[in-house]
Amino acid sequence: METAALKQQLKKQIVEFLNLISVNPDDIKDDEPLFGEGLRLDSIDSIELIVLLNREYGIVIEDPKEGRKILTSINTMADYIEKHRTK
Amino acid sequence: MFYIHQSSCISPQQTFKDADLTVLHGPVEKQLKAIEPTYDAIPPGVLRRMGKAVRMGAGSALPLLQEHGKTDGIIIATANAGKEDCVKFLDQIVQYEEGMLTPLNFVQSTPNAIAGQLGLITKNHGYNITHLHQGLAFENALMDADMRLAEYPDHQYLLGAVDDISVSSYTFEEKEGWHKQEDISNKDLYNADSPGSIAGEAAVMFLVNNIAAGAKAKLVAVDTLHSTDEHIIKERLTFFIQQHLQNNKADLLLSGEDGDNRLAHFYDMAAAVAGNETPIAHYKHMCGAYPTASAFGLWIACEIFKAGALPEHMTGSLLKVSYKNILLYNSYRGYQHSFMLVSVA
Amino acid sequence: MDRIVVTGIGVISAIGNNVAENRHALINRNCGMGKLEMFPSHFSGILPVGEIKISNESLQKKLQVHEPGVTRTSLLALHALQEALQESRLTPAEIAAYDTALISANTVGGMCLTDEMYHDSKKETGSSEYISSYDYGSINRFLQSRFHFSGPINTINTACSSSANAIMYGARLIKSGRVKRAIVGGTDSLAKFTINGFNSLRILSNEICTPFDEGRKGLNLGEGAAFLVLEKESEASSKKIYAALSGYANANDAFHASSLSDDAAGPYKVMKEALEVAGLSPADIGFINAHGTGTENNDLVESIAMKKLFSEIPPFASTKANTGHTLGAAAAIEAVYAILNLSEQEIYPAINFNVPITATGLIPADSYRKAELEHVMSNSFGFGGNCSSLIFSRA
Repeated sequence: METAALKQQLKKQIVEFLNLISVNPDDIKDDEPLFGEGLRLDSIDSIELIVLLNREYGIVIEDPKEGRKILTSINTMADYIEKHRTK
Repeated sequence: MFYIHQSSCISPQQTFKDADLTVLHGPVEKQLKAIEPTYDAIPPGVLRRMGKAVRMGAGSALPLLQEHGKTDGIIIATANAGKEDCVKFLDQIVQYEEGMLTPLNFVQSTPNAIAGQLGLITKNHGYNITHLHQGLAFENALMDADMRLAEYPDHQYLLGAVDDISVSSYTFEEKEGWHKQEDISNKDLYNADSPGSIAGEAAVMFLVNNIAAGAKAKLVAVDTLHSTDEHIIKERLTFFIQQHLQNNKADLLLSGEDGDNRLAHFYDMAAAVAGNETPIAHYKHMCGAYPTASAFGLWIACEIFKAGALPEHMTGSLLKVSYKNILLYNSYRGYQHSFMLVSVA
Repeated sequence: MDRIVVTGIGVISAIGNNVAENRHALINRNCGMGKLEMFPSHFSGILPVGEIKISNESLQKKLQVHEPGVTRTSLLALHALQEALQESRLTPAEIAAYDTALISANTVGGMCLTDEMYHDSKKETGSSEYISSYDYGSINRFLQSRFHFSGPINTINTACSSSANAIMYGARLIKSGRVKRAIVGGTDSLAKFTINGFNSLRILSNEICTPFDEGRKGLNLGEGAAFLVLEKESEASSKKIYAALSGYANANDAFHASSLSDDAAGPYKVMKEALEVAGLSPADIGFINAHGTGTENNDLVESIAMKKLFSEIPPFASTKANTGHTLGAAAAIEAVYAILNLSEQEIYPAINFNVPITATGLIPADSYRKAELEHVMSNSFGFGGNCSSLIFSRA
């Protein structure tokens, strides 16, 4: 899958998985921070996203702190998925 | 006890904001489902994570908390809140064989999520508690508010009750035999001579304090008991009336009858104790049967004082009234019973 | 006003089946954590738990429970309640009187039967004997029918601080004149539900928990139950009095659904308000039974709150290192331990502690010793921001 398509798919999955009712996937910028500012996600969301990566892409992240780096933005997530996906 | 100032209610009837009780909304698929408003007061980032009970609780409470000054604590009653997320989390445990699970259902499955979220959204650091005791959860919340207002006389509390119908709570009740087998209109609820009732749900919120001026109503007394023995209940209700009512007579008996013919004898007993001249009105055909339904009854009592009228579907005939007090009797599944006395402020 | 005194205590936990066994274990630094054995789970052998090694069948036999649909949560409650009632020497008539309250807390209800509940929640499958036993109120309903309680009965849930609020509610019922005595406590049993729930939040440790240690990795779940009999002092003149309940407070941290605020607003507020209710100052507290779950967030925030309130921090420890975190039972079990601190005039050591938290540097009580204790504080904090603190005083 091409990176652009992956990013688009990922945005859709995030909105669905976290039930971001007021967010249009296309409005999420690739480099905007997902936590703190931007989408204003929090610690529970970060665990939810780690589960998403596991269920959708077969990626296992054991350490939530490591997870936070991977989950910085759509760019960092897509990058990690491309390198580590098992499905 | 204390005074009720503001109230808010999301229920199967038109009760939120501009209440209109003249039109009776019926059940859909044998359930009296709440008419949910658009939840403008709940921040979207928070709303996305709320299960139905939390959403209804927050949606009904936030207008009161945001529009009516300082509130010193949050006292919530619920028997079923969280069950929806609880079973969703069980499903995850089974589906993913105790593998990697998402925590949100677990966090939302705890029944104190309503009071907790309300504290969080409104930055309320005060007293915060959730009462869960089945059909007496709301009555315990009332006693709690009463004690807090005695301990801190200048305080004001949010006091409410929330229970929702979820697929799983409905299935549990269905299997336990608490729903009517037949699909009936809620207009006929009290005439159907059959076991069970119609499932219902609502979120009811009150702001309460010790100030008489401007109050909607005064909660005079509440009492509860566990028993299946009609004589014991009769004795306690008789004593309750003697203790709290002049002339031993209430202006109206607001009965929690829910159409279950196995429980009808308790309500007949209450009517007999209240006396022949005391008119009877019903409310469970409006909100359905659920553990904290007596809170909806209290909300209706406040509306009766305000409107000075009772719609025909509550009594059988339209009544223009000027009641000074209303007695409420409710039985949950025949083993938990409560009496409330509410009067004009 | 009369003091509210404790005339009976009962407890069952991973470190003992009654008060005497629990005390003995605390003195001897016993840790109740081990392998999950009472029901099959993926996590058995992976996550240590504080499990009571008595099967449901043995509990039923011992307690003579013959009716169907009684869950482990109820059995543990009954076990602890019987001990407390015996200690208090309440007569059956007093127990069944209108002016006796039963107030208890739990957070799993009958959900210890995770698989049964899963099947019962589905339309297609039949229903088990436990169909009416999953909800939180079912435990008190069972106890009510067993002892014929007829006064106020309540079930409270404020997550991990639940039974502190049950104790508080019972005390206030007495204080308000509504009842003469209140039987208060909490119960919870281990469940696949809570093990998977806390695991999904990544706050369970795969090692024995180490409260207040810099290297702490999370909490261990446990199970148990505890009950106290509270009475007006004037009604209990002929009885053994273990301690008085002198202070209590409940407040909300209003920060996050599942973690505590950095500035410790909620924990600080409840400790301070409990002191106010008791009419005491921080220096009067001789020992603190801390919430101390062993999670990164709780122990740091609780340390910050203690430092903020106490100019000199009294000896403290978390007995969750002994019992595991018993959730809805935790505050009641720890209340029993606080009462034992006072009635026996002794301090139980913190176990599994090595290195203090760098940011706060607090060191919990390190050895068993006799001590002159007048007032002991017990803290409990829970999800939903629910914080509580209780203060017990010497009889």
